[in-house]
Amino acid sequence: MATTGNNSVNAKLVLLGDMGAGKSSLVIRFVRGQFLEFQESTIGAAFFAQTLAVGDTTVKFEIWDTAGQERYHSLAPMYYRGAAAAIVVFDITSSESFEKAKKWVQELQKQGNPNMVTALAGNKCDLEDKRKVEVEEARTYAEENGLFFLETSAKTAINVNDIFYEIARRLPQAQPAQQPAGVVLTNTPAQRSQSSSCCS
Amino acid sequence: MHETEQHDLSDDSDYAAASRHDVSRSILRSDSGKSTTSEAGGSEVVYSKENVAIHPTQYASERISGRLRLFKQGSSLFLSWIPYKPTTDGSAVLQGQGSSSVPLEKDRYLYTIKSLPLADVHSIRRHTPALGWQYTIVVLSSGLAYPPFYFYNGGVREFLATLKHHVFIVRSADDANVFLVNNFRDPLQRTLSSLELPGVVSIANRTSFHKPRISMSSLDDPERVNGATYDGTSSTSEYSGQPKKSHDPARDISIQVLEKFSLVTKFARETTSHLFCDSHDGLNAYEKKQQNNYSSVKHTSSQSDEMEKTSDMSPVASDPLEFEELRLIWGKQRMHPLSFEEWTSFFDSEGRITDSKALRERIFYGGVEDDIRKKVWKFLLGYHEYDSTDAEREYLASVKKSEYQVIKTQWKSISAAQAKRFTKFRERKGLIDKDVVRTDRSIAYYEGDDNPNVTILRDILLTYSFYNFDLGYCQGMSDLLSPILYVMEDESESFWCFVALMERLGPNFNRDQSGMHSQLFALSKLVEILDSPLHNYFKQADCLNYFFCFRWILIQFKREFEYDQIMHLWEVLWTHHLSEHLHLYMCVAILKKHRKKIMGEQMDFDTLLKFINELSGHIDLDWTIREAEALCTCAGENGAACIPPGTPPSLPIETDMGLYPQDDEVL
Repeated sequence: MATTGNNSVNAKLVLLGDMGAGKSSLVIRFVRGQFLEFQESTIGAAFFAQTLAVGDTTVKFEIWDTAGQERYHSLAPMYYRGAAAAIVVFDITSSESFEKAKKWVQELQKQGNPNMVTALAGNKCDLEDKRKVEVEEARTYAEENGLFFLETSAKTAINVNDIFYEIARRLPQAQPAQQPAGVVLTNTPAQRSQSSSCCS
Repeated sequence: MHETEQHDLSDDSDYAAASRHDVSRSILRSDSGKSTTSEAGGSEVVYSKENVAIHPTQYASERISGRLRLFKQGSSLFLSWIPYKPTTDGSAVLQGQGSSSVPLEKDRYLYTIKSLPLADVHSIRRHTPALGWQYTIVVLSSGLAYPPFYFYNGGVREFLATLKHHVFIVRSADDANVFLVNNFRDPLQRTLSSLELPGVVSIANRTSFHKPRISMSSLDDPERVNGATYDGTSSTSEYSGQPKKSHDPARDISIQVLEKFSLVTKFARETTSHLFCDSHDGLNAYEKKQQNNYSSVKHTSSQSDEMEKTSDMSPVASDPLEFEELRLIWGKQRMHPLSFEEWTSFFDSEGRITDSKALRERIFYGGVEDDIRKKVWKFLLGYHEYDSTDAEREYLASVKKSEYQVIKTQWKSISAAQAKRFTKFRERKGLIDKDVVRTDRSIAYYEGDDNPNVTILRDILLTYSFYNFDLGYCQGMSDLLSPILYVMEDESESFWCFVALMERLGPNFNRDQSGMHSQLFALSKLVEILDSPLHNYFKQADCLNYFFCFRWILIQFKREFEYDQIMHLWEVLWTHHLSEHLHLYMCVAILKKHRKKIMGEQMDFDTLLKFINELSGHIDLDWTIREAEALCTCAGENGAACIPPGTPPSLPIETDMGLYPQDDEVL
């Protein structure tokens, strides 16, 4: 859950998606500004933290990066339970990974926190010549399912920070009922995200 | 508060008169639990510690818990230890020990110390082992000694510090852990002693763990075992020894006590389990309360502070004696790797390994040199039988080579048209393709574009997924195969070695996670007996699933160490010397090492996972192996009892259901 202090929000964010879609690469690009061509697979799960300033508010993301293989699927609820946000990642060069992404979205809609901010990331958008998933297809799917969609590239860093910023902007509004009693999130520009663009 | 019995502190009769027979009668009941100041006769309690226990039998299958106090009357200091109300634990926990149970009720009074003047104490030996609970042994001027007092709530240091404050104590020149009381003979020592009370160091005893049965002593006395006869005299004398000339009686006792440590821990485990199901007697109610307190932040931090003081393992060997003791508790010094010459000495003229146990033990303590690793691993993994001859192995290699080719052909012969109609195959191949290109690519053997070794890695994994179609491919397998191929440099041999490894580790990748769950469960049990404060912390922090150790266990620490270290570690683990599950003791060792930080920073699950992940590359391998060895030895059979049969890497128990339960679609 997102928890708030004075003008600061802690938000648990989980990355889900098919293996090899680039979940770890996205988060490592975001947190460390690095990219490894052969990022090793994630065993179990990895945890990262990164803080963003959005207006007057600081959002500290506690990021859970999960293992992608189907066989580890049963462990995923442990990570998305209580998450304030999720990024469902697919690889634009793999139709299968897009199908997997849809399954993840369904599962989150059924099992996840109902106020969860969910982003859909079409990763590896630098590999245009190998594209299998069209932008419009993914965008339409995202709109139909109340997600916001960005195509990203962990390799070139395109839209990587943007997707996290966008989640951060949406958090407080998405969580009005989640604020613990007695803690007031002040000075948060409540209208800001309404106007923000959400598509690539 | 709990209900305890307190005796009249105003009675300061000679401790000798308070012979254990009589003590029971002098105990007065008190309804109050007030514990600090004067009860009667102007005595002042200067130290009071709950949950200080003795273990009346060598089996330690029950303990008698009580309150240890130091109190002052006038200028004299006295020690008292009063047991709590009897518990039902005794009869219950004795089950399975086979022998008659010890009459707890009687023991309580036998061991009660009403008021022992410190003037009659010769020395106090402290034991603050890295493993298990701290205890002290009080030796009287007469040469007699009381049974060890186990400080279940910690506090040995505080106890000694309080003593130091009130009576004159010096550290023995012979043994850094023996504190002489009222020793005025050596003025120099007196001066020195006033300078410092030595810091608490993890120590053990002088018994080599590798020869645990060196002495048959009073504690091994069958009569003692049966616990049939307990009168004051015998129970006292049994804990006595020779007045220290060549050796210290307290030390003898403590040696045996630590030998029995595994029994103590078993008992403790049982007690702990009782703690959470029984609530109808005084002690359990009390301990429950303790548990509740423990879960509150304040209590936890104060407790953890105490733990840190006493059991954090930062051994600073301030003198040779301590150093020697440290070495013993740490497991044997690591040796140089097994050399080619040594290796060949293990073979008979036809190429059989005659003493595989000695070989495995040798490798356990030092690993092997690079040039013989290829040969050694085939034995360790079980691909080669130890008693096979050179000729047999040569023949096997050729048979297995063609067998491999047959299995490989099964998928090699799948045409593009066939693959189009074979989703499972495409998916499986896809998984493997994705993983091999990101497995150890920074290692020269696998680096660069179109590296043929990456292709071989892929081929072996795909062939394995046909050989073991039920299990298929799972993330983590490429990590396990990579060093094997690197060492074997041969596709077929690597395949069969991998097959042998997966006979043991395959269940790690079960769909239902059963292999991992059984190991994580065993780990939680091991921590419970080997580091109860940490166990309690994990319990209250809701971290008992030990999922933060998942990666360690799934791929045998592959991601935690450098490549050459992994090869060393794996050959050590594969010897199965001491235990098939040394990797679990390694987990305990590492967690234990960081207990101070984990508890001090009140890490929750998320923080813990991050912390554990970030230990990668910062774990001292030799230290961890030695520590794991020590933990494994100390835990003994009770450690083994924590690990259910069939827990990987033990060979799985075959059932009619097949080795790899299928509970969803095969990928």
